[in-house]
Amino acid sequence: MKKIQSMSKKDFTSFVNTLIASKTYDVVGVKAKGERFVYDTLDTADDLRLDFDVTIIPPKKYFLPQYEQMMKFSLEKPFDVHPTFDDQPRVIIGVHPYDIIALQQSDAVYLDDQKDDFYKKRRQNTILIACDIQKVSERSFAASMKTNIVEDGFDLLVTNIGNTYTITIGTEKGKKLLEKYGKTKDATTEEIKKIKQVRDTLASKYKQKVKIDKKEWPEYLVANYQNAIWEEHADKCMECSSCTMVCPTCYCYDVRDLVSLNMKDGQRLRTWDGCMLKEFTKVGSGEVFRDDTKERYRHRFFRKGNYLPQRYGFVACVGCGRCGIACLPNIADPCDLMNELAHFGKEEETGRYFIKQKTTVVEKGIIHVPRSATIRKIQHLSDTDTFFELELDDKKPLGHDPGQFVEVSVFGIGEAPFGVSSPPTDTPLFEIMVRRIGNVTTKLIGMKPGDKVGIRGPLGTGFNMKSFEGKNLIFCSGGTGMVPMRSVINYVVDKKHRDKYKNITILYGAKRPKEIVFMPDVDNWKKVHDLQCEVTVDKCEPTECWGGCVGLVTTLFPKVRMDKFDSKNTIAIVIGPPVMYKFVIQCLKTMGITDDNIYVSLERRMKCGVGKCGHCQINGIYTCKEGPVFNYQQIKQLPEAFE
Amino acid sequence: MKQKPRVAVFDFADCEGCELEIADLEEEILDLIEIVDIVSFREVMKEHSDNYDIAIVEGSIMRPIDEQRLRKIRSHAKVLVALGACATIGGINKIRNQWMPDEVMKEVYGNANVKGNELFNVNKTKAVNEVVPVDYYIHGCPIDRDEFKHVITSIALGKKPEIPRYPVCVECKKNENICQFELGNFCLGPITRAGCKAICPTNNSPCEGCRGLIKKAETECVKEVLERYKLSYEDIRRRCTMYNYGREECGVDE
Amino acid sequence: MSKDFSIHVEHVTRVEGHGNITLNVKNGSIEKLEWSVVEAPRFFEAMLRGQQFNELRPITSRICGICSIGHSLASLKATEDALGVKLSEQTELFRRLAIHAENMQSHILHIGYLVAPDLLGVGSVFPLIGSKHTDTVLKIVKLHRLANEMSDLICGRTIHPIRLVVGGFSMFPTEKQLVHLQKRLEEARSLTQELATVIHSVADKLPAFERETEYIALSTPKEYAFYDGDLTSTDTGTLKDYKKYQEITNEYLVPQSTAKYAKHHRDSYMVGALARFNLNSKQLHPAAQDVAKLFGLKAINYNPFMNTIAQLVEFMHNIEDSLQLIDTVLNQGIKDEKPVKPKVQAGRGVGLVEVPRGLLIHDYTLNSKGYCTKANCIIPTNQNHANIQKDMEKLVPEIINRPEKEIELTLEMLVRAYDPCISCSTHYLDVTFV
Repeated sequence: MKKIQSMSKKDFTSFVNTLIASKTYDVVGVKAKGERFVYDTLDTADDLRLDFDVTIIPPKKYFLPQYEQMMKFSLEKPFDVHPTFDDQPRVIIGVHPYDIIALQQSDAVYLDDQKDDFYKKRRQNTILIACDIQKVSERSFAASMKTNIVEDGFDLLVTNIGNTYTITIGTEKGKKLLEKYGKTKDATTEEIKKIKQVRDTLASKYKQKVKIDKKEWPEYLVANYQNAIWEEHADKCMECSSCTMVCPTCYCYDVRDLVSLNMKDGQRLRTWDGCMLKEFTKVGSGEVFRDDTKERYRHRFFRKGNYLPQRYGFVACVGCGRCGIACLPNIADPCDLMNELAHFGKEEETGRYFIKQKTTVVEKGIIHVPRSATIRKIQHLSDTDTFFELELDDKKPLGHDPGQFVEVSVFGIGEAPFGVSSPPTDTPLFEIMVRRIGNVTTKLIGMKPGDKVGIRGPLGTGFNMKSFEGKNLIFCSGGTGMVPMRSVINYVVDKKHRDKYKNITILYGAKRPKEIVFMPDVDNWKKVHDLQCEVTVDKCEPTECWGGCVGLVTTLFPKVRMDKFDSKNTIAIVIGPPVMYKFVIQCLKTMGITDDNIYVSLERRMKCGVGKCGHCQINGIYTCKEGPVFNYQQIKQLPEAFE
Repeated sequence: MKQKPRVAVFDFADCEGCELEIADLEEEILDLIEIVDIVSFREVMKEHSDNYDIAIVEGSIMRPIDEQRLRKIRSHAKVLVALGACATIGGINKIRNQWMPDEVMKEVYGNANVKGNELFNVNKTKAVNEVVPVDYYIHGCPIDRDEFKHVITSIALGKKPEIPRYPVCVECKKNENICQFELGNFCLGPITRAGCKAICPTNNSPCEGCRGLIKKAETECVKEVLERYKLSYEDIRRRCTMYNYGREECGVDE
Repeated sequence: MSKDFSIHVEHVTRVEGHGNITLNVKNGSIEKLEWSVVEAPRFFEAMLRGQQFNELRPITSRICGICSIGHSLASLKATEDALGVKLSEQTELFRRLAIHAENMQSHILHIGYLVAPDLLGVGSVFPLIGSKHTDTVLKIVKLHRLANEMSDLICGRTIHPIRLVVGGFSMFPTEKQLVHLQKRLEEARSLTQELATVIHSVADKLPAFERETEYIALSTPKEYAFYDGDLTSTDTGTLKDYKKYQEITNEYLVPQSTAKYAKHHRDSYMVGALARFNLNSKQLHPAAQDVAKLFGLKAINYNPFMNTIAQLVEFMHNIEDSLQLIDTVLNQGIKDEKPVKPKVQAGRGVGLVEVPRGLLIHDYTLNSKGYCTKANCIIPTNQNHANIQKDMEKLVPEIINRPEKEIELTLEMLVRAYDPCISCSTHYLDVTFV
């Protein structure tokens, strides 16, 4: 039972003014802006409007700012990077219960096993003074979401019970603040009773009501993945992402490098991004993974009502109604949408678009700040593909699993993900292959040995090599799929490990002879015992020197030696362009290999690499967390995986 | 020592506001001339050189003599940057394309004999990329100085500038503005390219689309919004003709 | 003396817009002397056709980047005159601040970036950086920055001012912001005095040339006229009916110029800072009058090269008057006013405004639905082209025996002294349609 104090309105005003005058905190409160309200620094308590209905954007801007400088870097010195944290102590006065709940939800995301230190610092430096809602916003449905009242998550909670305010003490921090700057007494029983009255009266004022209890949102959504309603509404969508910008539970972001005009230094900037924007999922090659507006429109509701509940156990909508106000064609409001879905059926199996698994995390310092590595070797394999050997400057091994990836930074240009192409070793060296596609890759290709880059990682879920021991392995790779696959193959063929695995078959297809990367490795593999390696190219001009097979990689399957083949005891690893998977998996099925013995590696726009920025989502999972390596049995049921 | 890229600034039919924005870098001009050599900038410099790597072109192209001059510039430059709406999409200058050149000439010059005078020989207004290939675009009327700095430093770093292709609404909401539609105004923000930090709505004035449209005005969703806010199609048609006359939406490369 | 030479300056540098100077001398006598405007006409008249009254300001603002605030204000005055809109006192105060900011920005750009290099013997400001004049350049930049920040604050944006709308302002600054601006303006006073001293030390490089000229500007007993006033000439006095301005600005076409010429009492006349000074110098703030005294600038001065000095004098006046205006605003408190909503009706309105380069007139006729049916626009530089030509015709014989390079430079300096805005002058509006 929380302690409750009370004070007169006049005393509360002095409390706020004293706080402001002390110049110890940035005192933020709700102020009027025209007919609407915003959070802003208070110069005087007279500007504070606790009778507001809803602010234009939520208090998330103080924890995940619209534009946030994460780190500064120098362009003159080889590796000079400093994270820039916000040390400003802050008090935010006037946070409504639904926004408190939204902050608790973003804590679950940003303070998970891969903590975001920037967010953490801001959270630690901020004292939250919540307030009970006095005026219901037109589009808010918080009462039917049970987010109009909150029991914890605040340092202090202010309730207007007439001429007096009651202050519910949430934390020790809140209590100390109140004692230092304010004058209160213990609340009387009468006053405490009034709090419930005030809350009950307010709850009855909600006009917007959602008919489906939020616990059942996942069931209705999953049952209606293919419902025509998504397209009907999405036809009207402006793709402006206003809904995500004003949402308290949206926190996807993008990262850019900005360089000063004098080109001596720069900053890495984080800014809000939105999944409703077409280019949200765009990768270097230009491919967009949720091209259709209806797919993005549906995705937003599923994320809030199905995917995040699967991952964290809460529905990521707090009924504030901001998106309802912001959306010009009026299609964003989850209350209206769910009320429409209520006419359709529901389904029990709500985990269909999600993969529950424990992800391995290697915590290496601040998750967003790269550490330094030096380029040791560069080998241009073709005019588009370049091979790099990198050495971590702290001289520690990368410590990766085959199949994991790293984020490579070239400061001033940007950051891009690369699959690690070498098996794990106990040296600080590792290898990647770079194909020229965009800014980062073009810059990398022009660098020289001795130059430094930034490395974050290893990231993602790789192959569990231990679980493959004692089995036959069949590798099927198309094009650049061989880049990450090489890390696995070179692991198993290594003398130390070869005997742990049985027969190995490698099927490798490329578009043209010159696109076969790692030809020297292929030659080595052919020399390994109990290993069959077949290579093919899609097309070959008479002028090209190629004595091997011509045809798609699927044409190699008939060549596989079936005499020692034991489909029940075989693991298949398939990595290639999206179009390849369907056909190769068909071949594997024909050979008798079951889905749960097939592993694939998928590529999406991996930006943060730690499951926060949202760009790499495939339905409910993050390619950078649950992937990029997936068990086919699990990933096949996600419609967005192989489109 | 690596030579600094040489930059030349040219203007055609424009108000020179975008070049003035460059001059308005104030003290930062000292930084700019540290990373590039400005070899020609008629508005502020007497010196001129035909040896340049980067040509920055402001203004629309109106006459054959202008097209000639532009082609000459393109042949000298390795990189050509279109500066400002007049150059990138035609801008305000394109409004007159609704009428034939002859009609307009008579209006202005009456019966004065201007035939054969190449100064007065005017075609329909063209954006720079309708005459020569353009490498980079700096949109806006006028340009945003931060975007200019970003494009120049990107060219100097050898990377493709990161110009948004999402609507002004994203930046407007980040600025915590009250939506212009809520205030009863008609705003082109939802179909206009961002990058200007939503400066007009932030100053309480609706967006006019000066950075180019990224969605056709003819779409279902736009009609829906017009209906909902009781605006006429005539309103949007006229508003779209201010900077975007004759254009549906920006191409992928623009 | 027999002399044969030709000077052709293609696209004079350090002026806004494109203009050429041609001088052909044979046997010591002038065969051809022409100031020709070759700017591409943009036909703004076509652009205003059928536009709604709220859209006239954004379009005419784009006539010129440097004087976009001036065009915007003239446009708004014309529109408001046509619709019979009465503005609030607060709007009148802030519009005066806007015009001061623009005047400061334009004048310091002209004095510092466009003219000073000639006085210091260099091609542009860039080589001055790192030399003994670095300090001066930094002062100029600082003052320019201040003027821009002032117009950014008042108008939302210096180039193409967003906040200037029919009936008032879309948004006003806060008191905190104005107090901060005041401090900056106070600092600018001393910087301006220092700059005046530096310019004075090289002012002898300005040619001592005179030609009796008619000067035309706005004038009013209330103040040194910028935002409001009556059309006044040094020759003929004040025009009674402002709507009959065409009696003064008679425009005509010449073949070497895409911009029209103008004349009134004589073959040509001059507008601009010197014209304003010659008519209204007594109304200048004492600090500005001190600057004039320093240069020996007195009304009536017939040397067009002194236009630049008159600009410096006005710059000081802009600072002082802005400080007084801000005091008035702060004393009254800033009200959260919405722009006056006009009653849409047919009408004709004329807006006269003094912009940095001189008298600007916008003349609109609206129909009963508020759409523009007829428009006319008299640009300051338009009105100066004939005067430039006439000045050259008197100047060249006086300097014909000097070295060619010097003649070329002097002619360029003459054009620059007028601070011409050539793009503006070819974008006049002259529409009549049903």
